[in-house]
Amino acid sequence: MRLSHTPTSSEDLKPSLVPPFLAAILSLIIPGLGQILARTIRRGLLLLFSFATIIGLLAWRFTETARRDTGLINIVRKGLSLEPALVVLSILVIVFYIWNVVDAYAIANRSGSNPAGLLFLVIIIFFMLGWQIGQIDVVALITQADDAGPFLSSVLWPWEKSIEYPKDIVTTTAQIQIPCTENPPAPSGALEDAPYLLADPTCGTLAEFEGAPGSTVTLTGHNFIPNTIANIWWEDPIGNEFRQRQGGEYIKITPDERGAFQIDIELPYRLVPANIRDDTTIWEIQIRQVASIGDWQFSTELKLAIEKIIETIFIGMMATFFGILLALPVSFFAARNLMSASPITLGIYFVTRTILNIIRSIEPLIWAIIFVVIVGLGPFAGIMALTVHSIAALGKLYSESIESIDPGPIEAIQATGANWLQVVVYAVIPQIIPPFVSFTIYRWDINIRMSTIIGFVGGGGIGFLLSQWIRLLDYKAAGIAVWFIAITVAILDFVSAEVRQRFV
Amino acid sequence: MLEVRHLTKIYDDGTVALRDVNFIVPDGEFLVIIGLSGSGKSTLLRCINRLIDPTEGEIIWDGVDLAKLEGTELRMARRKIGMVFQHFNLVRRSSVITNVLAGRLGYTSSWQSLFGRFSDEDNAKAQHALERLGIEDQAHKRADELSGGQQQRVGVARALMQEPKMILADEPVASLDPVLAHSILQHLELLNQEDKITILCSLHYLDLVQRYATSVFGLRDGEIVYRGTREEIRGMNDEEFKEIYGQEAERVGGGLQGDLLTANGGGA
Ligand SMILES: Nc1ncnc2c1ncn2[C@@H]1O[C@H](COP(=O)(O)OP(=O)(O)OP(=O)(O)O)[C@@H](O)[C@H]1O
Ligand SMILES: [Mg+2]
Repeated sequence: MRLSHTPTSSEDLKPSLVPPFLAAILSLIIPGLGQILARTIRRGLLLLFSFATIIGLLAWRFTETARRDTGLINIVRKGLSLEPALVVLSILVIVFYIWNVVDAYAIANRSGSNPAGLLFLVIIIFFMLGWQIGQIDVVALITQADDAGPFLSSVLWPWEKSIEYPKDIVTTTAQIQIPCTENPPAPSGALEDAPYLLADPTCGTLAEFEGAPGSTVTLTGHNFIPNTIANIWWEDPIGNEFRQRQGGEYIKITPDERGAFQIDIELPYRLVPANIRDDTTIWEIQIRQVASIGDWQFSTELKLAIEKIIETIFIGMMATFFGILLALPVSFFAARNLMSASPITLGIYFVTRTILNIIRSIEPLIWAIIFVVIVGLGPFAGIMALTVHSIAALGKLYSESIESIDPGPIEAIQATGANWLQVVVYAVIPQIIPPFVSFTIYRWDINIRMSTIIGFVGGGGIGFLLSQWIRLLDYKAAGIAVWFIAITVAILDFVSAEVRQRFV
Repeated sequence: MLEVRHLTKIYDDGTVALRDVNFIVPDGEFLVIIGLSGSGKSTLLRCINRLIDPTEGEIIWDGVDLAKLEGTELRMARRKIGMVFQHFNLVRRSSVITNVLAGRLGYTSSWQSLFGRFSDEDNAKAQHALERLGIEDQAHKRADELSGGQQQRVGVARALMQEPKMILADEPVASLDPVLAHSILQHLELLNQEDKITILCSLHYLDLVQRYATSVFGLRDGEIVYRGTREEIRGMNDEEFKEIYGQEAERVGGGLQGDLLTANGGGA
C-alpha cells in the first residue's frame, strides 16, 4: 500500500471537499481554487500561480505596447490593434481560463482529467510571452541580413589591411611672379621620370578682393601618379601656405592614366603686408600628391594585433598560473573529507566553501571592472579578474575531486602512524593528480578564451583593440583581431587536447 | 598483551556497533574474529588502532591505554600496529615499492617523506619484505597493475615494514579466491610464528578459521557471544559453527594444500 501509491494518487482517493459545480464556480472566481478544494492541492496551486504570472506579464505587455494610453479599455484596444501576437495570447489565456473551470469540475467529480493538455497550453502561453518580451523579430533577421554583408566580408577577409605602403607627400612646384614684369621667370623644364609642373603664364595679378577673379594661369603637369587625387597649394613670399580655392571650394586634380593633367586656375585674393604688396614677388604654386614610397610593410593594425594577442595569451597564462597556485591550498580547506575531523576544521570548510561560491558566482567580466577600478586599465586588471575567478572555480573542482577520492588508502597510510602531511602526500595527492591536471587544462582553456574578451571592459589584451575598432567602424582591423582570436583558440584546443591525452 | 575493557562504540547515527566488549589477547596469538556482516568486526579492529574513536572503554596495550592517546603519541603507537584491509587500500597509482615504503612513514620525518626519500636501511627493508612475500619482481609496477592476490601481499608487506608487534587484518582474504586466501593467511601465520607478531584477524570461512586460528571469538550485534581455543574450534562441525556464526557460514573448500605451493610464490 504505502509504496505503491504516490501522494498525488492518494489525494484522488479521498472525496472532494466541494461538489463539482461549486468547484467550477470557485475556479471561475479564482483559477485553481476549485482544484485546491477538490484536494488536488498541487495542481490547484500550480494553476493559480501560472495564471497569476501570465496575467501579470500580459498586463505588462499591453501597457508596454500602448504606452501613451490610459484607461483599461483604451490600453486593451490599442494593444490588440498594434500587436497581433497579443490577440493570440489573449485568446489563449481565455481558453486557459475556461479550461481551468472545466478541469475543476472534472476533478471534483473524480471523473479524471488529464493535466497534460492544460500544461501544454501553459507552456505555449509562456512561449508566446517569451517571444513578445524577447522582441523576437524573424522578419528583421531575414530582410536585414544583407546589411551585415560589407561588415562580414571585411571580417572574413581582412588581410588587405595587414600590409601597408609607407606614404609620403610629393610636392611639385612652379613659380609665379606677381605682378607681371617684362621678364617673368622661365618655366621649369620637362623632366624624365620625376613629376614636373608648368605654369603659363608664369606671372599674374592677385584678385582685388575675396571672390573676385585674379588673372588666370594654366597649369600643366606630367609624370604624376595616375588616377590619384592631388591638391593645389600656394606658398606666399613670407612662407605662409594656403590652399587654392575656386568658387568657394578647394580644387582637386586627378591626373589621367599617363599621369598628366591640365587645369586653369585663377590667382587668389590674399592679404599681404604692405611692403610685399608693392614689390614684385615670387609666389610658389605647389601640387601635392600622396604617394606610396618604397616596399610594402606590415600595417600598424597588424602589429598592434600581434602585440595584443601575445598579451592576451599571457593574461590567460598568468591567471591560470596564479589560479592554480592559490586554488591548491584553498581546495584542501574546501574538501569535506579532510576537514570533518573537528568542529573547527568543519567551520573552516564551510567558510571556505561559501566564499568560493560567492566569488564564483560573479562573472569574470564583473571582476575585471572591479579590478580596473583598483589597478587601472590594462592587462594587470585582466589577470587579477581571471585569477580570482580561477581560484574559486578551480578551488571548487579541486576540492570536489579531493572529496571523491578513495578513503581506503588514507586510512591505510594513517594506520602506519603517518602524520597529516604524510597522509596528504602519500594517499591524497597521488589520487588527485589526474583530475587536477584535467581541470587545470580546462581552466586554462577558459582563461584564454576569457582573456580575449576581458579587454572589452578595459582588462587588457586583444579585446580592447577589438572593441575600439568596432566602435571606429574599422571592420577590416576588427577582422584581423577576430582572426587572431580564432587562430589562438583553435591552437589552444589542439594543445589542450594533446596535453590531456598525455597526462590523464 | 592487549586487553580490551568495556569497549563500546556508538556511531553518530546511534548505531551501537560494540557493546561492552571485554577480552585479553596474549602476545603471539593468532586471534580470529568471526561474526555476521554488521556484527562489529571492522569496528572492533579499527577501534584498536583508533581509525575509529571508541565511545567508551579502555584498550590497554603494553600498559598504555590506546583509547586515550592523541596526536604524536597515537602515531607512535600506530607505528607498532600494522593493518591489512579487505580491499588492500593501496595507493593505486603509486608503484609497489612506494606503497611498501609508506609503511615506514611513521619512522620518517615529514621533510624527507615530502621528497620521497627513505633511508638506505628502509629501502633494504622494503626489498626484503617484497622478497619475503614473493613479489620482488613487481616492485616497480603500478599497484593497480597487480592481481588481487599480489596486491594483498603488497598490503602485508606494507604492514611488515612497520616492524609491528601486532597486525590487525580486517577480512584480508574476503576479496580473494580460496587459493590466494590460503596463501595470504600462510604469510600472516608465518609472521605470527617467526616474528612473534600478534595477529587479530576477521574471517568468514570455517576451514580458514580452523586452519589458522589459535583462538577465536564470535561477535553478534556488537557483543562477544563465543570464545574458543584452537582445540575447541578444530573440533567444531558446520552446525555448531553456523550456530554462533549464522546461516551465512560456508567452507572455502578444502584440499588446497597442493595448489598452494604454486600460488604461494617464493615467499614461504
Ligand atoms: N560510519 C558508520 N556510521 C554509522 N554506522 C556504522 C558505521 N560503520 C559501521 N556502522 C554500523 O555498525 C555496525 C557494525 O559495522 P561493522 O562494519 O563493524 O560490521 P562488520 O562486522 O565489519 O561487517 P562486515 O562483515 O559486513 O564488514 C553495523 O550495523 C554498521 O551498519
Ligand atoms: Mg567489516
